[in-house]
Amino acid sequence: MCDDSYMAWTVLVVDDHPAFRASARRLLELDGFEVVGEAGDGATAIRLTRALRPQLVLLDIGLPDRSGFEVAERLSGAPAHVVLISSRARADLGKRVRESGAIGFISKEQLSGEAILALLDRAA
Amino acid sequence: MRALRLALAAAGAGLGVLAYQVQIDNLGSLTSPTRALAIVAVAWAFLGAGLIAWARRPENRLGPLLTAAGFALLARQLRYSHDPIVFTVFFALGELSYALAAHSVLAYPSGHVRGRAEWLLVRVGYASMLLFPLAILLVYDGSERLRYMDLRPHESVLVVWEDMGLALALQKAFVFFVWGVLAILFIALVLRRLARATPRARRMLAPLLLAAVVFALRAVYEGIFIVVDRPAAIVDDVLFWWQIAGFIALPIALVAGMLRARLARANVGELVLELERTPPEGMRDALARALGDPGLEVGFWLPERREYVDGRGRLLVLPSEDGERAVTRLDHAGEPIAAIVHDASLVDEPELLQASGAAARLALENARLHADMLAQLAEVQESRVRIVQAADEERRRIERDLHDGAQQRLVALALQLRSGQRQLGEVADPEVSRLLAEAVDELQVAVEELRELARGVHPAILTEDGLAAALESLTSRAPIPVALDVSEGRLPAQVEATAYFVACEALANVVKHANASRATVSARREDGVLVIEVEDDGVGGAHAENGSGLRGLADRVEALGGRLVVESPTGGGTHVVGEIPCAS
Repeated sequence: MCDDSYMAWTVLVVDDHPAFRASARRLLELDGFEVVGEAGDGATAIRLTRALRPQLVLLDIGLPDRSGFEVAERLSGAPAHVVLISSRARADLGKRVRESGAIGFISKEQLSGEAILALLDRAA
Repeated sequence: MRALRLALAAAGAGLGVLAYQVQIDNLGSLTSPTRALAIVAVAWAFLGAGLIAWARRPENRLGPLLTAAGFALLARQLRYSHDPIVFTVFFALGELSYALAAHSVLAYPSGHVRGRAEWLLVRVGYASMLLFPLAILLVYDGSERLRYMDLRPHESVLVVWEDMGLALALQKAFVFFVWGVLAILFIALVLRRLARATPRARRMLAPLLLAAVVFALRAVYEGIFIVVDRPAAIVDDVLFWWQIAGFIALPIALVAGMLRARLARANVGELVLELERTPPEGMRDALARALGDPGLEVGFWLPERREYVDGRGRLLVLPSEDGERAVTRLDHAGEPIAAIVHDASLVDEPELLQASGAAARLALENARLHADMLAQLAEVQESRVRIVQAADEERRRIERDLHDGAQQRLVALALQLRSGQRQLGEVADPEVSRLLAEAVDELQVAVEELRELARGVHPAILTEDGLAAALESLTSRAPIPVALDVSEGRLPAQVEATAYFVACEALANVVKHANASRATVSARREDGVLVIEVEDDGVGGAHAENGSGLRGLADRVEALGGRLVVESPTGGGTHVVGEIPCAS
């Protein structure tokens, strides 16, 4: 059930819940993405983004050491595209999503390869 | 005591006549009947003022001191007698009159001399006024007239070493020391006391300024006689009569000042009448007027809290008595009622303070109960605020728990189901695929409903981004067009939460009941108040009392010291205005 168009995308999954990271990894890999790493906090996310050079960072907003918005701003110079995720709705996050430099936002329960590709298409 | 004072008055009158006669008989061209009478008048002024003060304030030593000064001034005139014994006795004792006058001034108004320097000056003054004349009498041989005396020599019965030159030198030394050194010290101490006094005390201590002037005049007058035997008539006249006027005014001013507390009892009478129509919160002002102390404070004792509060129920910490402020505590049956924090100068007017306190006791008791009530109200108000804060905190905690707990599990479950869908792919039984798809959809609905519930409990955006962002999110989700006008900037959490919930409830009512086509929400700060307004073009007819939502919010707004007004004429739309104090 793989789509070749997904194959090129390498992903770093950033979330402080290991169970979510595992579920997201499984789903994205099934959707053809290559999950090159996982991070549980903002500092690790920044470090791994520089080390692993993923094409995409799936970044949770509520991290223990700093907000996902701050991490997204720090990553704005990196080649990776940043997609913000949260279990809150887009409307609950105000204009900071827009101002963060991320290419878009996906509610966690709606996470899928299609949703990510739609954002990447829009950003292209 | 009354008989003693009458006897002293009679003796003073008799001694006055004698003093007058002795001057006329012995001073010849050096005096005149008018001058002799003026000197007796000065003494009588001291005597009369002293006796009046003694009668009115028997416990105050100022009365006896002034009386003694008056007698001494009269007795001083007897030194002009040419009877050797009378001359010797009254030459020796007469100068004590000025020591007594200075002592009276330094003891004003309480009757007690305060300050080490003042005490030292009084003692040195008495000693000098006694020892110098005695020393002169021991060496005065009667061959020449003494200075400051009549034109004929006298005979000292105490002479043991006849040395006229030494006697005259001692006289000069006496004048130099007493009127040159001690008088200047006296004037300096009096002026220092005036300079250090509080404004209220300074008004009361005004007679001290007169004393300084009078003693300065006297010092100049005495000094002139060291230089010349007889000064020019014009200089002599001017200095003499100003001195007389000053010395007559001085005891009168001292006694008037001392008795001001007594005269002020008339104010106490007025105070009683005024207090009958004074509300409890006006107690302080009424007492301040009666006691002439604008800075006066009243503390009411709250037995349960064992502390004082002011007329508005706020905690009042009694100041330490630092010299400018003093505290008088008023009790009833051994229990404190109130404390008056007042100008320290009122300590010298205990009668006025006690009389005012007694007059105000009943009103103070009422005011104390009033202050107690206000303090309890303030406590209730603070408690309401704490309840609102605690409720908000609890709402935030529930929202966090929902977000971190159930919501995360449902999200993980949705992803796992979606993974299951992927893994089964096309090989799955179509019925299983359909069930899985339905489960994923249901789960998304459940997550959305849970999110809506959490948002209703306490929206995270309000905590994290503030009122403006929360209202933007709220209005963007409304099913009808809502115009938003909100000023940026953070406010205290309970203010933001209250304003948000007012807007949230009012908008929910618009959607449910108003049949409106549009609405506006605005939030702005005006003079330390956050004004939150929600207005619609619907059917109106809403009442804050009818809906428990708005009623509960009105309570919440009032808990923060604000108010909620709902205007909703039938057919004229609804206008909800919440005013919430937000000054930090």
